[in-house]
Amino acid sequence: MTAVTAAETAIAEPDAGVRARGVSLGRLRISRSRAIAGAVLLGLGFIPVVVPHHDFWMYIGAYIAVWAMLELSIVVVTGFAGMISLMPFTFVGIGCFASGVAVSVWGWPFWLAVPFAAAATVPVSIAVGAASVRLKGLYLAIATLTFGNALGETLFKWNAFTGGQQGHTIVRPKLGVLSFRGDFSFYVLAMLVALLLVWMVHGLKASRVGRAMLSVRDNEREAQALGINAIKTKLTALVIGGAIAGVGGAFYLALLRTAAPAGFQSPYVEISSVLLVVWAVIGGIDSAFGAFLGATALIVQQQVYQGVGERLGAWLGLYAAAILVVFLITRPGGLVQVVKIQRERIHSDRIRGGIETFVILAINVVIVYLILHFGK
Amino acid sequence: MVLATAALPVVEVASFGLAKGAVFALLALGLVLIYRTTGVTNFAHWGIGLSGIVIYFLLTSKAHTPTPLAAIISIVACAAIGAISYRLVFRYVKRTNQLVLILIALGVAQFFAALTAWGFGFEPTTIVKPWLPVSNIKVGTAEVQSTQVIAAVVAVVISLLFMAWFRYARTGRALRAVAQNREAASLAGIDEHRYSMIAWAIGSALAGLALLLIIPHTSGQSGGVITTGDTTPFGTFLIPAFGAALVGGLVNLPLAVVGGFIFGLAQEMLILAPSPWGGLRSTIAAILIVILLLMHMERFFVARAELEALEA
Amino acid sequence: MAITESDLKPEPSAVDEPALRTAGLSVRFGGITALDEVAVEIRPGEIVGLLGPNGAGKTTLFNAISGFIKPDAGRVLLDGNEIQDLFPYERVAAGLGRTFQHVKLFRGLTVEENLLAAQHRHLRSGAVAAMLRLPSWRRDEDEARERVEQMLQMVDLRPWRNRYPWELSYGTVRFLELAAVLSLRPKVLLLDEPATGIQQKEVEALGPLLKRVRDEVGCAIFLIEHDMGLLMGVSERVYALDFGKLIAEGTPQEVTADPRVLESYLGRTRRVLHSEEADGA
Repeated sequence: MTAVTAAETAIAEPDAGVRARGVSLGRLRISRSRAIAGAVLLGLGFIPVVVPHHDFWMYIGAYIAVWAMLELSIVVVTGFAGMISLMPFTFVGIGCFASGVAVSVWGWPFWLAVPFAAAATVPVSIAVGAASVRLKGLYLAIATLTFGNALGETLFKWNAFTGGQQGHTIVRPKLGVLSFRGDFSFYVLAMLVALLLVWMVHGLKASRVGRAMLSVRDNEREAQALGINAIKTKLTALVIGGAIAGVGGAFYLALLRTAAPAGFQSPYVEISSVLLVVWAVIGGIDSAFGAFLGATALIVQQQVYQGVGERLGAWLGLYAAAILVVFLITRPGGLVQVVKIQRERIHSDRIRGGIETFVILAINVVIVYLILHFGK
Repeated sequence: MVLATAALPVVEVASFGLAKGAVFALLALGLVLIYRTTGVTNFAHWGIGLSGIVIYFLLTSKAHTPTPLAAIISIVACAAIGAISYRLVFRYVKRTNQLVLILIALGVAQFFAALTAWGFGFEPTTIVKPWLPVSNIKVGTAEVQSTQVIAAVVAVVISLLFMAWFRYARTGRALRAVAQNREAASLAGIDEHRYSMIAWAIGSALAGLALLLIIPHTSGQSGGVITTGDTTPFGTFLIPAFGAALVGGLVNLPLAVVGGFIFGLAQEMLILAPSPWGGLRSTIAAILIVILLLMHMERFFVARAELEALEA
Repeated sequence: MAITESDLKPEPSAVDEPALRTAGLSVRFGGITALDEVAVEIRPGEIVGLLGPNGAGKTTLFNAISGFIKPDAGRVLLDGNEIQDLFPYERVAAGLGRTFQHVKLFRGLTVEENLLAAQHRHLRSGAVAAMLRLPSWRRDEDEARERVEQMLQMVDLRPWRNRYPWELSYGTVRFLELAAVLSLRPKVLLLDEPATGIQQKEVEALGPLLKRVRDEVGCAIFLIEHDMGLLMGVSERVYALDFGKLIAEGTPQEVTADPRVLESYLGRTRRVLHSEEADGA
């Protein structure tokens, strides 16, 4: 292509150059928007501490942190590697009860139970991996749905594992003199672990293994033609995702202090798994940060439901399901994509973009308010 | 639906299994039709069918409509709901993003779950009147519900009629054209959206009929009971219905019907099985489904072109 | 724009061995024989063409050589080593590269990330190293980015580094695919209809480009092409395939004058130039 350079034939306009406005923290350069986002989040993180009823809010905060961990497992398996798994909550259950057994039956400290919970998910991850060799897309989704169903009938009815119908009860962990029993300390612990996992998953994306996963997701044949072992890549994603869900399951148990196996059986396990996947997509299926957004949105929605009672909850459920469908059709990239698009719109036309963003937010707030106010 | 399952003899259980099989068969038929024509795995199938039951319930209990008429109206309503679902939602979804397509179907399923829960007034149980003649038929020493026999017969007859229609009637052939090659079909003057709506309407009507055959008749003369387990996204029947559809690779109609009856019978007969096996119904169904998936049944039935059209 | 990076050259191979050879390669689908005892040979540094009407089995041959189809009989040897039992990704490691007829690449990745993904074989760090941001991960990332930077510069794609494949013209995407495959340092490069779908002036530039790739990278090229101008201009030898059998072999002039070859095209009344149909078999 000497006579005709790529420049002449490309459809898109080339980028003029990278804008370099940012903040320096020693060797680390952070873009301005990331810095702002980080500051906002840090501020939000402090809210539960300072508002009244802060033990409730810190419980909510810890809840969000735990669910963010659960969402992260989906980001890896489905977002990065493209495998549609409708059984993530089953992995959470495995982690939950494995740690429950370790702590309340074997007397292990929580810190040992967490890696054990992660390890306990591996056999099931491998089983799903075996299925994924021959099953793709919809078929894998159906297969995982039935796996979750079947495990609910077998593994989660095995009393030695589940601790009977009431499940295991554990107390929250201690580390020497540091106790995480209190709401504040557990909130901080859960948040730190969640943020650590977000950091790790984010790092995975910008790496050889992560890009292999994304390649296999986008075009498995081409990935193989470029030397990537697709089976190993998918298996890696499943094991990592399963392990993260296992860790999340351990923290889930620590958060709730007790968990009954019924939640991991049909029909609840499917509902919870689907919920996890849906909110991961809403956050942004292939974004580690999106997992956090999705978890936050999920908990907010749940709290609103619980606050309003069943009748109103159904109205809200209708509205939410409708919004969800519209959202998925127009912004399959999730909230992360919404943020990206709105930022671009604001950037290209400050006023119009700003108005648009405001209108979108306002409409939603108004509708929810109306439902809450008049639905009674 | 609540049904006592204490030590029942084989004939009665088999009869109930056939009735359930009829339901699975009709549901599977609808699923295959919708999947083949529009490429959507309709997880909302149950929800749409149950919406028909809501209308039936409201008509019979609040508007005092005679039950057979209410049944007919409900089936028509299901067709309308299905067509509207396509028109408002699935028409706009690009088939390329499989995950989003599945999630949207799940989202619509959740929508209907909430809608039906509201429709039934959030009661923990709701009683629905029967519309088929309820009586006991003696088969040897056993007694079998007439509604179950009728359900099985109706399912077979409707399936046969539908399959014939799909194969020979003009509209049916148009649907198959759309299924095989949307572009070519539109070039031939077939409006793919119109026929997709038709597919959804018919498929949903089949779902409505399926549920109407069983739900109002699980408790004999007193009708049927709807519990909170029914107003969940998948309900109690959707997964086995998918299993049945998978026997035909999600594309073959006769096998979907056969699969429906197999799943229905197998599920019920397992109750009679010795202790551990009975409780493992879901697991056995799961294993069956995974085997069916692994077998990639669809490769036996349709040309590669249509398969690619479904995946594209 | 010159591709002058010695880093791109593959490891030297044994002198007398053909770079790529197939022996008795046969593929059957149900009742149809897609490939019938096909034996081709590509010597190191050669540019060899493959022609034949649609459905002749050209892409099937490429699929069998690269491992995407399992042959029913026959052998495939790369540099004298048997590779017919290896997975596609293992054949890449052995030195085989290929492009596809309908290029899609990775639509969720930018141009730069696409090329970074192609660096997979050259890097070593694992998932744990990535998640913990260990030094081995850092080293891999630096190395990968450096190589990709050079590649971007060489193929003049730097202005498009943050664009996604669907934002580029088809010709540019093909070009990107070529760059990605070249990152693998292949000894043999299978190109499946590289000129299909791109503008005429780009087709004209493709011939010299392929020759330069061969000269500077040192790989042999086996190329399926319908555009006779390109095929004739760039190939040193040509094979002709019809109904899965090799019907002719020789210089481009010899083969295109061969009556059996002409018959295979005319007899099936298909258009020779720029057929729009997907060549599936």
